[in-house]
Amino acid sequence: MERNEIFEKLNEIFQDVFDREDITVNEHTVAADINGWDSLMHITLMQAVEDEFDIKFSMKQIVNLQNVGDMVTIIGGKL
Amino acid sequence: MVFSSLTFIYLFLPANFILYYMSKSRTWRNTVLVCCSMFFYAWGEPVWVLLLIFSALIDYLMALVIDRYREHPTIPKLMVALTLCANLGFLIIFKYSGFLVESVNSLTGLGLPVPQIALPIGISFYTFQIISYVIDIYRDDVPVQRNFWKFLLYVSMFHQLVAGPIVRYAHIAHEIDHRQASMEDISHGINRFMVGLSKKVIFANGCGQMATSYMAAAPQNLTALSAWFGLAMYSMQFYFDFSGYSDMAIGMGRMFGFHYYENFDYPFISQSVSEYWRRWHISLGTWFKDYLFYPLMMSGGFRKFGKWGKARFGKKNGALLPTVAALCIVWLATGLWHGANWNFVIWGLYFGFWLIVEMLFLGKMIAKLPRFFRHVYLMVIVMVGFGIFNFSDMASFGAFLGVLMGFGTGSDPTLALTVSGNIYFIIISVLFCTPAVPYLWKRIAEKSERTALVLEGLRVPANLAILLLCTALLVGQSYNPFMYFRF
Repeated sequence: MERNEIFEKLNEIFQDVFDREDITVNEHTVAADINGWDSLMHITLMQAVEDEFDIKFSMKQIVNLQNVGDMVTIIGGKL
Repeated sequence: MVFSSLTFIYLFLPANFILYYMSKSRTWRNTVLVCCSMFFYAWGEPVWVLLLIFSALIDYLMALVIDRYREHPTIPKLMVALTLCANLGFLIIFKYSGFLVESVNSLTGLGLPVPQIALPIGISFYTFQIISYVIDIYRDDVPVQRNFWKFLLYVSMFHQLVAGPIVRYAHIAHEIDHRQASMEDISHGINRFMVGLSKKVIFANGCGQMATSYMAAAPQNLTALSAWFGLAMYSMQFYFDFSGYSDMAIGMGRMFGFHYYENFDYPFISQSVSEYWRRWHISLGTWFKDYLFYPLMMSGGFRKFGKWGKARFGKKNGALLPTVAALCIVWLATGLWHGANWNFVIWGLYFGFWLIVEMLFLGKMIAKLPRFFRHVYLMVIVMVGFGIFNFSDMASFGAFLGVLMGFGTGSDPTLALTVSGNIYFIIISVLFCTPAVPYLWKRIAEKSERTALVLEGLRVPANLAILLLCTALLVGQSYNPFMYFRF
């Protein structure tokens, strides 16, 4: 899967999890950019991403994630 | 030996500082720190210092085994389980055995003898530190430490050993071998230590003296107003005491070249319970998040529970079920971490409850309120929380809560006198709970560099003044409790 395809799919997941249509994520999006992205939403998001892409994150990846670009790289590496 | 004692400020810390900077190589400097830390801990716990070393040794060895057999399918998991059993086992024996036996007795009517075991100082803090290390090694998050003395340095460093912040090994792993304390680090460290010392000796003790007369009073002698006043003073005492200790720890770390993470970020300015817990005792919150909440949520059982919920209650509501369950577990554990008593259990679940309802619906509702009301909402919840924290028996808390809600029958002529007699102290205390000072400092620096330089230069005489004042207070007053020594 291409990087931009992963982004497209991620966008849908973000909109779904945060329940807002106007969210678009890019390489540099961080938790502070999205209203309500706290630890509760983070773990819900990670679950949704795992289910959608049918992958498993390691705890190290979940805890240390820096930005959405990072997330895409990790997802790309697992597909 | 507490930080806010004359022995510590005038003997232990200067001796440690001189010995440290007389040593030239890092190996010697590390040795000085380990020896001083052992001496510091043994001063308060001459016997249980051995437990500390033993716990550190177990975790050090377990981590080596995990690292050696990383590719093995079962050994790393087994080692983590064993480490948890050992560390939590010690914690349960020392901290909870009396509470457990008492609870069993009162539930079953049995008369089992209640073990009387003294709590080793700081066991809750250092147990969490070493557990985080072994789990980080298991997660391959940080390289394993092969030198036991360096590991013991991490575990025992006296700055954070007895009252936090709960430092992660990963945060200081590099600094154990490569730290460089510049003059700037040392002066920042001293400034920070002085801030912490004044928070503790001037503000926590001052608020505490006012709080005690109300919090310990018989409820029939209180009015709603005086009970709220007492609770407000008690809440501020707690904040100044605990954040002052963290400031001193962070400051001392800096004096020796260690950069610990912040532990408090003006919690009382929060506008929701979830924000409050991102600002209060940050190192504990992130610990529970990284080592309990996330693993629970990602575990197979919770994922299955979530899928079952989604099938049963629809996508949105069903997905909330495992989160609610995990939050209950996390906050039960957070409550118990603070103490072996039912009031701490209730206190933890009380905050868990507010976090859950904020997540479910209340968060969206309060977000629409004006800022002032959001703030009042948070402060009422937090202060009642401190009330639960203070009263170890629920009947007294119930009576106190009744007075808070206006069902008191007493009259209190002393309140007006207490408030008017301490009005400047109270105003300054409230201001210091907010980021007013850093805000002003920044504004001045933006306006005029010269004024900022003059202020910077005034720090040295200010520090000396704080030291003198704190010394005078410590010599004169017998009231110098340490709220977090119980943990």
